[in-house]
Amino acid sequence: MSARLGYANLGLGVGLRTVHFPFILDSWPQVDWFEIISENFMDSGGRPRYVLDQIAERYPIVMHGVSLSIGSSDPLDRDYLAGLKILAKSTGARWISDHLCWTGVAGINTHDLLPIPLNEQTLRHVVDRIRIVQDILERPLIVENPSTYVGFASSTLSESEFIGRMAEEADCGLLLDVNNVYVSSVNHDFDPVEYVRSVPAERVVQVHLAGHTRYETHAIDTHDGQVIDPVWELYHLAHRLTGGVSTLLEWDAKIPAFPVVHAEVLKAKSYMRENLPTPNDHSNAVAQPSDERSLSNPISFLLPEMGSART
Amino acid sequence: MTEEPLFELGRIQQWMQAAITHPEGVAGGIRSPAAQEHLAIDLAQLEEFVTRSSGMSAIDRLQIYGNAYFARLIECLRDGFPVLRHAVGDEAFDAFSFGYLQSHPSTTYTLMKLGPRFPQYLADTVPATDDMPGHWFDFVVELARFELAVGQVFDGPGSEAEPLLSATHLLAIPPEQLLEVRLATTPSLQLMVLRYPVHRYYEDHRRGVDAVPPGREEIHLALVRNRFIVRHHELSKAGYQLLTRLAAGESLGSALAGVVSDGSVSAGAISQGLRSWFQEWAAEGFFCRVDC
Repeated sequence: MSARLGYANLGLGVGLRTVHFPFILDSWPQVDWFEIISENFMDSGGRPRYVLDQIAERYPIVMHGVSLSIGSSDPLDRDYLAGLKILAKSTGARWISDHLCWTGVAGINTHDLLPIPLNEQTLRHVVDRIRIVQDILERPLIVENPSTYVGFASSTLSESEFIGRMAEEADCGLLLDVNNVYVSSVNHDFDPVEYVRSVPAERVVQVHLAGHTRYETHAIDTHDGQVIDPVWELYHLAHRLTGGVSTLLEWDAKIPAFPVVHAEVLKAKSYMRENLPTPNDHSNAVAQPSDERSLSNPISFLLPEMGSART
Repeated sequence: MTEEPLFELGRIQQWMQAAITHPEGVAGGIRSPAAQEHLAIDLAQLEEFVTRSSGMSAIDRLQIYGNAYFARLIECLRDGFPVLRHAVGDEAFDAFSFGYLQSHPSTTYTLMKLGPRFPQYLADTVPATDDMPGHWFDFVVELARFELAVGQVFDGPGSEAEPLLSATHLLAIPPEQLLEVRLATTPSLQLMVLRYPVHRYYEDHRRGVDAVPPGREEIHLALVRNRFIVRHHELSKAGYQLLTRLAAGESLGSALAGVVSDGSVSAGAISQGLRSWFQEWAAEGFFCRVDC
């Protein structure tokens, strides 16, 4: 198997968000690539899709989904998969990713990224479904480790072991979200460095970066600020282990001006140097605390803002 | 775990979904029949299934998902109906949304389709209290219908990539062919009958004017998108009926005859207004081609 399943290292990209459309269309910034939320464009026949088509003419596009629900016990949604395939073809998407999660069952979509028990039975279930999805999409699926907040007594595998075996057995790629690794390490009391070390590096096609919110007892993946140092250190480790892969920053709440978001991902360059110290212990790392109640996934991650574009 | 894997996974997922989407919170959800049907446990047994962390109990960990469920979807409805939210106020809007989400949970992959049943839900709810009498609520329902339609026209199919039919094109149709032609309306065109002029309230709000809820007035309206901008256009009743028939694929002759036979306008009146109607409608981009 070739590294990254043969997918190119696209460089340092930014998650495409509606609030940045005017800036991008006015200035065509020097960004390596953009990642889109697939569902926000699959059914669009209006301005969002028109803007995407212009952007796709100038930048590499990657599709990132939130509704595949690969871990659900519901049947796969074939219409959804057909829609993904059409969008990928029309935008020239380099690859398609989604999360190791379920979003709903019995026909309902909670629009959250919910965790599954991690054991042999669910591994088999997820692997089988990834294979079906890959057959339909006619390309490898790239699967992301989510931030999670509960664990199950029926889990017998660690998450890193699960996604490593999942990637090998389904022959899929991995989107390693180092912020999610950090958030889940707080919530599940595991060592994030060991997690990153144990992921099959040759399967990692892409890395995600983001900010999160730290509470006294847990952390929530809010995508609402800068990347904290311990997460950058995990990124540095991932960079060393993978040899460098496409890297993307997600910023979905309290979104600042585009240059601020872009500058944040460009910080990654300083963590690509080999001579940086390797992280060993994050037990003293402290993220920005918050008293506010945060959503387990920010709404802007899931829905484009439309009002400003109407008259 | 001794049961069939998929059944067991489905059971856990049905249970967890019932717990985190329950309107009274996760504890109420776990006790609910919907959850008990799949996993008959009480709160004392919870940590036999969901683990605790060093910082949080199992119930508090589950509550993170429970907190997010309604908050996320209500925020989505707020984004989709900002003027309606302004009209009824945050508290009432959130209460309506909370009720709506319980009776109409999302069943599609996209949040863009969360709101289409919201206006009908409001119409069916009709809380004609002293604070919110029935006629006020009729206005609220109509505003919801209008705002939903604006969103659908904004991001639905359009014809920006194709030339629209101009008045010149229409006037160039030979008179002997005129009654036989079919005028294809642009895909974004939506025709509405409203019981209140909510489009004026909507415009006032968007312009930052202190919008006052209007009195009852039947309005016939066209919504259309042109160069990705949504516009509305007031129609006469006869104009609305004619456009409705044309949009359904009737020939111009058949549509005109139908409008006259409906009795809402005389043949003389319609022939008098026809030329100016079509000039206005073509200028607004209502038509995309002539099918002979």
